[in-house]
Amino acid sequence: MNSPTRGIRRAIAPAALLASAALLLAGCASAPEAGGESTASDYCARMVTNSGGLEDRSFNQSSWEGLQQASTQYDIDVAALVSTSETDLRPNVEQAVGTGCQFVLTVGWELADATTAAAEANPDVHFAIVDEQVEAPNIKPIVFDTAQAAFLAGYLAAGVTETGIVATFGGGNQPPVTLFMDGFVDGVAKYNEVHGTSVRALGWDKAKQDGNFTGDFEDVAKGKTLTQGFIDQGADVILPVAGQVGEGAAAAASETTGVSIIWVDNDGYETLPAAFRPVVLTSVLKNTQDAVAAIVGDDLNGTFENTPFVGTLENGGVEIAPFHERASLVSPELSAEIEGIRQGIIDGSIVVTSPSTPR
Amino acid sequence: MSTSPAVVMPSSEPIALDTAVIKSWKAPIAFGIFTVIAFLMFVLNARPGETTFRLSTERDAVQLPEVVVNSATTGWVVFLALVLITAASALAVISRRKVSIWLTVLFALLFMIGFLAWAAAGSSLPVTGLLFGSVSLAVPLIFGALGGVISERGGVVNIAIEGQLLAGAFTSAVVATSTGSLVLGVLAALVAGVLVGMVLAVFAIKYLVDQVIVGVVLNVLVTGLTSFLFSQVLAPNAAMLNTPPRFPRLEIPLLSDIPIIGPVLFKQTVIVYVMYIAVAAVAYALYKTKWGLRLRAVGEHPKAADTVGIKVNATRFWNVALAGAIAGIGGSFFTLGSVGAFNKEMTAGAGFIALAAVIFGQWDPIKATLAALLFGFATNLQNVLGIIGSPVPSEFMLMLPYVVTIFAVAGLVGVSRAPAADGKPYIK
Repeated sequence: MNSPTRGIRRAIAPAALLASAALLLAGCASAPEAGGESTASDYCARMVTNSGGLEDRSFNQSSWEGLQQASTQYDIDVAALVSTSETDLRPNVEQAVGTGCQFVLTVGWELADATTAAAEANPDVHFAIVDEQVEAPNIKPIVFDTAQAAFLAGYLAAGVTETGIVATFGGGNQPPVTLFMDGFVDGVAKYNEVHGTSVRALGWDKAKQDGNFTGDFEDVAKGKTLTQGFIDQGADVILPVAGQVGEGAAAAASETTGVSIIWVDNDGYETLPAAFRPVVLTSVLKNTQDAVAAIVGDDLNGTFENTPFVGTLENGGVEIAPFHERASLVSPELSAEIEGIRQGIIDGSIVVTSPSTPR
Repeated sequence: MSTSPAVVMPSSEPIALDTAVIKSWKAPIAFGIFTVIAFLMFVLNARPGETTFRLSTERDAVQLPEVVVNSATTGWVVFLALVLITAASALAVISRRKVSIWLTVLFALLFMIGFLAWAAAGSSLPVTGLLFGSVSLAVPLIFGALGGVISERGGVVNIAIEGQLLAGAFTSAVVATSTGSLVLGVLAALVAGVLVGMVLAVFAIKYLVDQVIVGVVLNVLVTGLTSFLFSQVLAPNAAMLNTPPRFPRLEIPLLSDIPIIGPVLFKQTVIVYVMYIAVAAVAYALYKTKWGLRLRAVGEHPKAADTVGIKVNATRFWNVALAGAIAGIGGSFFTLGSVGAFNKEMTAGAGFIALAAVIFGQWDPIKATLAALLFGFATNLQNVLGIIGSPVPSEFMLMLPYVVTIFAVAGLVGVSRAPAADGKPYIK
């Protein structure tokens, strides 16, 4: 028998080369982007992403933008630690605390446990966590009642649909995702109630709290086929709540005339590739940037407290984006009605409810 | 499937093959279990209403009428038919005959019709949409599986399919955007796949590193490299580097007018047509050409191949590179054939499903293709049933593709034997 052992020594050098190349790249990827060395004080802030990374066109990106905004506004040192997998989360939070910074921002429900543990061990450090509610004296949760804005989007979708069918789907059955879907189907129901129409919303059953999910937030091809399935059933306005998987929905919509999508988290008309912009009807916005910057400001002023920040239509934390190229689909009457509903939600005469609503 | 192949002993004497048929109750038992499931679901839990099967869309040339069936009645009919098939298979086993593969296929088809009629009761099911989506979802899997088949038939375990797909997706997006040419984009994907394949080949063949480990490291390397370049280079310059054109759908005249099959298979993009050719070419060449014979020889018995003058390591090297080229083209489907822009980790594990398809498909290009198609079908079935509001919870539906694949493998495939020298480096 030939034994491969004599090849092992020869193998070590190239294998080491490959491994070190991987290490080098890993090192590059998480290179901290320090925001200026001449800081006014020794106050500094650190952020830990979830596995989405900094350019996820979602809450990691917007949280980081918020922190950078705070950096220029208050002249403080900020940096981000990028997690690439679940196993990175706890070490990254510990590393962020270990830098001696006074403020640590974590992003995503996956970081809840790591953040709580670090907060307990370091009562002097102030924490904030985006998109998750945890209770601790030194953690400020930053959450958004996206159902309010999604309600407007649902009302709008029901108003512009030609086929009488709209649809939504999610990346996974988790409260921050289904919150959008609850608001959307309720908005459609509201339109039906006001106009006596019977527009159907596919993909989400609010009573059963179950519907269509792609099962992950990466597989754009799956998002495309799923959306194609909705289009086959006649849907012409689709709300994907699945991060980049939504790009698959945009691709499917752009291949069929008369189909629009509603983007989430940020204005899809600005963040999506140019080819998909014409199909973006509107976007359900989550204004994480300003919330993060404001909380850092509070902490600098010594007014940090642990009551959750809940973004609503009233405080501008959530909103729907302008209609851009699809504005012609939206009649002035419909715009006025949506404005009326927005006021209704703000003054409390319309209450948007969801089992996932942050409190 | 009810017989096990007679074991041929390595001996120079001519052997009279013993044709003893071993009674295997596997098929009737499996049929029985599914018949019971059918009874519980379609008959006892029958859902009221009618199911509409839409066999054509408004865009199709030949308009087929919608088939409307009563869900409960169909459930009964299907259940009775399944009982008959189970009995027939049991009879066959008792009389020591083989259970025909067609009986299994018929069983699966009837079960699927019963299941669809049950799950879609009260709504309409777009059959062409269901099948079209299945093919689309299976395309990268099939390219990946072909790459896997070629590489492993030559004796090099190809865990790096995921990396080859991802590298193909990345480079095709960048090159197609910067040059504006779809063809150059696909060629770039091919080259990227070859490069990943060559790294695998060099480490596996020249430096004799464990092939599984090199493959895994390559996947991590390509994931890291593309994610890094995506966030540092592509994201800030998306307009210049990451907005590739997409292949338009191309209708093949005449063929695309065939009812059901036409719209599903012949209204696709060029990449899908390339895939049909690739599957046919690999299936033919692997068994009928000198190239195929040599490839299989170095994968089964490299020493014997060497003694007749085949350069084992060179053959392996170039075929691993070829495998990378095919998988790389598959990668371009994610971007140029599907959504356009590249996204981080957008292959989402397709390479590993392709690897599974290679093994489920017994290292045969056609069977691996069928395995990939089955996976695509199950995935899209889950989508479509979710849309029309199936009674099954979504978490369970997400398991469906994997459950179906496992059952199909256990029921249809049986023993899967790898090429004898698969994963073993050849040292003279």
